[in-house]
Amino acid sequence: MLNINKLRKTDHAIISIGSHIPILQSMLDFEYLAKYDQPSLKAIIATGRKYIRMFFGKKEVLIPVYSSVSDLPSNIRNKITLFINLSSARRVLSSTCDVIAEFPNLMGGTIFAENVPEKHELELYHYSQKKNVFVVGPSSVGLLISNKLKLGAIAGTQAKQLVESQVFTPGSVAVFSASGGMTNELIRLTSQAGKRLSFSLSFGGDRFPICTPVEAFLAAEKDTDTTHIIYFGELGGYDEYELADLIKSKKVTKPVIAYIAGTISDMFETPPQFGHAKAMASRGEETSKAKAEALRRVRIKATNSFTEFLSLVKKIPAKIHNIAIETRHASSLRIIENRRPSLFINSVSHDVGGSVEIVKQDLLTMVKKQSYGWIVASMLLGKPVKSKELAEFFDFVLKLLVDHGPYVSGAVNTMIAARAGRDLVSSLASGLLTIGPRFGGAINQAAQHWLDGVGRQVEAHVFVEEIAKAKKRISGIGHRKYRIDYPDPRVKAIMAFTGKLKYKKYTSFALGVEKVTTAKKGNLILNVDGAIAAVLLDILSEKEQCSDAELKELIDIEFFNALFVLSRSVGFTAHYLDQRRLDEGLFRLTQEDVVYV
Amino acid sequence: MARVKLTEHKAKSLLYDLLGYSYHGVSIDRKGLSQYAHTLSKDKKYVVKVDQGIKKRMKQGLVKLRVSSYELRDAIDELAKKGYGQFIIEEMVDYDKSDEKYLAMERTREGWLVSYSEKGGIDVEEHASEVKRAVIPYYRHPELGSGSNRDPDIHRDDVEQIAKELGIDINILKQLREFCEKYFVSFLEINPLVVRKGKVWLLDLAIEVDSTAQFFIRDGWNENDIVSEKHKTPEEIAVAALNKKSQAAFTLTLLNPNGSIWVLLSGGGASVTIADEIHNLGFGKQLGNYGEYSGNPNAEETYLYTCSLLALLLKSNQRRLMLIIGGGVANFTDIRITFKGIIQALAEYKNKLKKKKIKIFVRRGGPHEFEGLTAIEEWLKENKMYGLVSGHVLPLNEVVGATIKELRSPPSRG
Repeated sequence: MLNINKLRKTDHAIISIGSHIPILQSMLDFEYLAKYDQPSLKAIIATGRKYIRMFFGKKEVLIPVYSSVSDLPSNIRNKITLFINLSSARRVLSSTCDVIAEFPNLMGGTIFAENVPEKHELELYHYSQKKNVFVVGPSSVGLLISNKLKLGAIAGTQAKQLVESQVFTPGSVAVFSASGGMTNELIRLTSQAGKRLSFSLSFGGDRFPICTPVEAFLAAEKDTDTTHIIYFGELGGYDEYELADLIKSKKVTKPVIAYIAGTISDMFETPPQFGHAKAMASRGEETSKAKAEALRRVRIKATNSFTEFLSLVKKIPAKIHNIAIETRHASSLRIIENRRPSLFINSVSHDVGGSVEIVKQDLLTMVKKQSYGWIVASMLLGKPVKSKELAEFFDFVLKLLVDHGPYVSGAVNTMIAARAGRDLVSSLASGLLTIGPRFGGAINQAAQHWLDGVGRQVEAHVFVEEIAKAKKRISGIGHRKYRIDYPDPRVKAIMAFTGKLKYKKYTSFALGVEKVTTAKKGNLILNVDGAIAAVLLDILSEKEQCSDAELKELIDIEFFNALFVLSRSVGFTAHYLDQRRLDEGLFRLTQEDVVYV
Repeated sequence: MARVKLTEHKAKSLLYDLLGYSYHGVSIDRKGLSQYAHTLSKDKKYVVKVDQGIKKRMKQGLVKLRVSSYELRDAIDELAKKGYGQFIIEEMVDYDKSDEKYLAMERTREGWLVSYSEKGGIDVEEHASEVKRAVIPYYRHPELGSGSNRDPDIHRDDVEQIAKELGIDINILKQLREFCEKYFVSFLEINPLVVRKGKVWLLDLAIEVDSTAQFFIRDGWNENDIVSEKHKTPEEIAVAALNKKSQAAFTLTLLNPNGSIWVLLSGGGASVTIADEIHNLGFGKQLGNYGEYSGNPNAEETYLYTCSLLALLLKSNQRRLMLIIGGGVANFTDIRITFKGIIQALAEYKNKLKKKKIKIFVRRGGPHEFEGLTAIEEWLKENKMYGLVSGHVLPLNEVVGATIKELRSPPSRG
């Protein structure tokens, strides 16, 4: 059940199903203007991206995006108290059921979509009653509590509209309407008449709104701030008879002013369908006249004329409002109206008046205190490294991969460019552009293998068989020279870094694979690339607490290859300088070097 | 949209199929008779009914009884003369007046509201006091409902009582409920339901389905099975097509082709409020149309909608025309963008509108209200169609008062 007092007292965490940026942004603007420290919107369910950038005041904030409610981390999941469902009518039933089932502390939410089938509305009605959550909608612009909560487009999507409607000064008038447009119209009208809102909601124009007028009226009765209720009703349906019963039985005692629209329908023998789905009076009791009469019988000020309705609203006693509080929004409004989105976001570095910050730390202090490995690892991760192990391992690998002799293709290309008289950057680029799937790109591919194998919990021999069947090679396995009985001393040095690790699941898996492959052929050993990938995965997982999803992301963005590129740049640069010093002139192949077929 | 009527022919085809009966009714339009002629027997008598979702057909003379096959063409021609184009032909069933029962089911919040009476037939409304009502709760989706409500035989007593009073098998009621659930039926009425010696005939069947459920119905009815009660103008058809294609919503209904007050409104609630005000001030008969747009349409869509409306308005034979462009204070519909489309359409019909000496009255609020209103004010003044332009400061209903005041005043010369 809708409980306004409780909603006022709660610090909310909101999830949005689907995204409709102007609506969500207006919710953040509302909270900024209501002087919140941070937005209540904690997550958006959508596809195709990781974050949505939104404004909180002038500052941009990133709202995390998840592809389904089940992907939400438990720390957010347990906090969620409210939802706003902005998905299409087709997905309303299933997505709302998911939300209600998934979040233990959910109090309720609103549904925006029009054209939700009656049957689905009723299923949600019965389900939400059973689960004791309130659901406003479908086809609703939402729920508003003055200076506390805006859940939907209600009261407008422009900050200016919100300020003009004075929704930041808590008042005593509750406004209800089936129509979204009329909800906002009445909010505006109430504030222009000098009154202020306690709360407001739009039921939506469907035949079976999940939050019924009865529920809303009972919420207003229980709400300590509300003294008066303003209600915009329409032809169609029988809601007003139930309201009349509530008043007759004294379950609602606060004064009500009602306008029941739709007298125009009486002109027609076969009335047309009006704007809302429910707005069709097929039976006599459903006409606006009959319904207004029913309300008048229980002494409600109900009218079929908007003019009369307006004069009744004006007669509600107005409290004196603190103008100082209401005008203070002017400066905040200017900030909102003059902001513009930034072109980039970054989490690596910052420059404020010449003093450089790297991953939120002062560069100069860092240079004095930290190793080169620490700085590189932190920058590549976009956050300060937590463990000594990762910094040390980076330091080691940056040294280890620095060069591998002049014969490898990247070095050859660098030397050829240098001998052709190109400059440093061109020659270096020529070498770097050689790095790819066959040269230097093996660490990333090996990391992909180990993450996949461990993630699927397949046994090493099955894994090897799968790749053999697909007629592919395993990256990180095999060496031209070294063999199982003549091991690579560099691999041994890399493996030494696992000494301080506890689980070593990636390294164990890689060694398992090596056992299978070396049984087939002696030189199919775990090579430098494969070993670096495995040990780095283990350190990231155990010492930096990277989740599987984060590890996968690092592989997707080529984090593992970055290590090779950085280190080997030193080697390529050295070969360039060396060739220039020796100055041998342009390199050319001879006919014997290239076979013509 | 919302609850819409299906043709009786489609409704019966689906229901008979579910009940396991075979259905021999023939659905035809005026031209279609010859192609079905071979299925009709010379020895049998038939019933011909208008199949366009009309209530009280019998009393309006839209049903022809005991028609032999060679009289069918005449019967249809006679009904067609009354302006109808869709018919259903069924075999004539003879029965006693006392065999006529009434049964209706409507989807309500707590369950199926079943109305039934032992005295059915065309006079059922005269025996309204004898129509009994019972609410049979929905059976819940296993995951949604509580354990105790899962049993489909819940409230068996009620269902048994209804079956007993009507003299029908309880399974028929269960199947009717299954039918309504399966096809998203909101309202079903069988009148008369003829029951004779345990045998059952569903003589006349009317159902309303939920038009929003089309996506969820794999195999059953579709939009072609929805009846349209009256002849629609090309402009109304164009708006219905626009509505179907758009994320936003559009409706347009012609009320009086020769009206003098026309309305271009936005929002379900505000549009009814403005139409009410016209009616309450005694000018309801002069209202040319009803309609509204909502859900933040783009400029192109608003342009198309306005064009359809202006085309209807320009056909009115009134010497003076008033147009109200009205709406509440929008939550998220962009006024600058929607008004851009409206102005584009007005500009296209500019000369014809000037000939009609049209005056245009605007009241609207919402996002980018100032920009939108400024643009239309300039345009209306420049083209001498200005009646009034106001934002949220003017109460919604007062735009109607200003329009009527202008309509009552003598036309200005020149």
